[in-house]
Amino acid sequence: MQSVSSAIRSAGPAWRRRGLLALGGLFAGWSGAVMAGDIYVICNAAVSLRAVEARDLFLGEKSLAGSTRLQPADNAAAQAAFLEKVLKVDAAKYAVIWTKKAFRDGANPPAIKASDAEALAYVKATPGGCSYLSTPPVGAVTVVGKF
Amino acid sequence: MSNNINRAFRAILLGSVLAAGSPSIAIGAGADADKLAALQQQLDASIAMINSLAARVRELEAHQGAAPASEPGTPAAAPPDAQRIAAVEQKVAQIETANATRYADDTGLATHGFADVGAGTYNPYTNDAKGFYVGNLDFYLTPRLGDRTRALFELNFEASADGAIEVDLERAQIGYQFSDQATVWLGRFHTPYGYVNTAMHHGAWIMDALRRPRFLQFEDQGGNLPAHTVGAWVTGAARVGDDRVLYDLYLGNGQQIVDGTIDMRNAGNTHGNAIVGGRAGYQFGSAAWGGLTIGVHAFSSHIDDDQVPVDETRVRAWGAYAALDSDRWEHMAEFYIFNNQDLSGGTGYHRSEAGFAQLGYRGPWGVGYLRYERAALDQSDPYFARQRAGNSYYRGALGVRFDIDFKSALKFELANTHDTDRVVDQDNEALAQYAIRF
Repeated sequence: MQSVSSAIRSAGPAWRRRGLLALGGLFAGWSGAVMAGDIYVICNAAVSLRAVEARDLFLGEKSLAGSTRLQPADNAAAQAAFLEKVLKVDAAKYAVIWTKKAFRDGANPPAIKASDAEALAYVKATPGGCSYLSTPPVGAVTVVGKF
Repeated sequence: MSNNINRAFRAILLGSVLAAGSPSIAIGAGADADKLAALQQQLDASIAMINSLAARVRELEAHQGAAPASEPGTPAAAPPDAQRIAAVEQKVAQIETANATRYADDTGLATHGFADVGAGTYNPYTNDAKGFYVGNLDFYLTPRLGDRTRALFELNFEASADGAIEVDLERAQIGYQFSDQATVWLGRFHTPYGYVNTAMHHGAWIMDALRRPRFLQFEDQGGNLPAHTVGAWVTGAARVGDDRVLYDLYLGNGQQIVDGTIDMRNAGNTHGNAIVGGRAGYQFGSAAWGGLTIGVHAFSSHIDDDQVPVDETRVRAWGAYAALDSDRWEHMAEFYIFNNQDLSGGTGYHRSEAGFAQLGYRGPWGVGYLRYERAALDQSDPYFARQRAGNSYYRGALGVRFDIDFKSALKFELANTHDTDRVVDQDNEALAQYAIRF
């Protein structure tokens, strides 16, 4: 059976170009699918936070913003994309990080909200509340960053 | 209302049938009687069905306590489906708002913990016993108390060397967080020296290795350092770019050696002397060095014992540590140098050393590790001489941890230990441990 590389070599230059373009298109489509959708990290309107602090916030390294106790909440509907894009960890490691953090430092892991609507309502209603959405936030909240 | 419906339906139906029939009548003036009879039959059937439906409506209204009929001129009511959808949407919105504003802590205090059991050619903490063993059942509580106050309690049930179940309040800390860079804890805490003592607590699951290095074990498991302190502890971290600077300062009760074991003096000590110490570290966060922490530590403690006359020692220890905790590797190393002063016997200063290095590899199945540890402890130093497990030794260990799922792990370790003073001896150990978190 002819291998892919030998098939490319035996094809003419025009076919090679077309093949590479097709491969490029496939890759672009695949990467677009993997990176689908933006994540909006938001906090209560009274909270001021920088985008670079989002990671510390959800890993328990930052718990105060001025005099306000930060109360992050995970959004189950957008958690997979958030962990991949913002924290750069998978769900298993995220759970382990918080188990160790709680046991070592007495910190509590974020609460969990079920949907964008619930996360948004939580952030609006909670002083120090922070979460993330898969859709642009509507209403009076602080957008910490778009990832 | 039902009479109105009845009359309206009859009129509409009659009109429809007549309207449908009239063209054919008009077109075919000589239509036959059969066609008229069929139309009449259809009309009768329709009227009968309308009467039946009207009766059913009356029956339902009677059951439900019929709502007042809408008067002519009042706006038409929304269709029943639209009303139901609006009601459902309203309920969903109410549930979302209720859930969103409900904090995780108002449903009570969650209880978490760790547990482990195992078997081995020797007990992992004492070579006086062999076979199966019960390890730790460790509960910890982290109640949410307010914006600044924090608390951590750890209650541990463990089997002693003679098999009795003992209960220890391993940590009881209440703290005030001034900022992200400074928290003050009061109570009983794990003395912040090295890496292991504050990273690997009593829960076996939290460690990749099956057990701590022997000289760093907890006091009642043969450790040679004061793993717990009762006192005050200031700790925090400051971010410097991607990296973090870590620090700890602490002051507490000077410990006492009781029945050969270091005791942290939960209720205070008799002489009023203290342990004082600190640790400084640097944690790299950049891509190239991410997960690496290095640091130095030192403490000084006035420690006595239960002998007559009492031995008193000024224990001075210092050292350094490094730990790499990444997705692929888990390496750690610590060393300690002791320069202890005999305060009661007049034997002067005694130097001892202890340290270990562990290399770990993380695969998709778990972790494999290799460790070497050594303690050269001066037996003329009352601090080590009075400890039941205060002898010098070296140990090599090879182990593996399999993560069965997110919350349970199976560990195996092969170790060879040489005791190099008091009673010169060596042991080969094969250990297994099943550890969980919950």
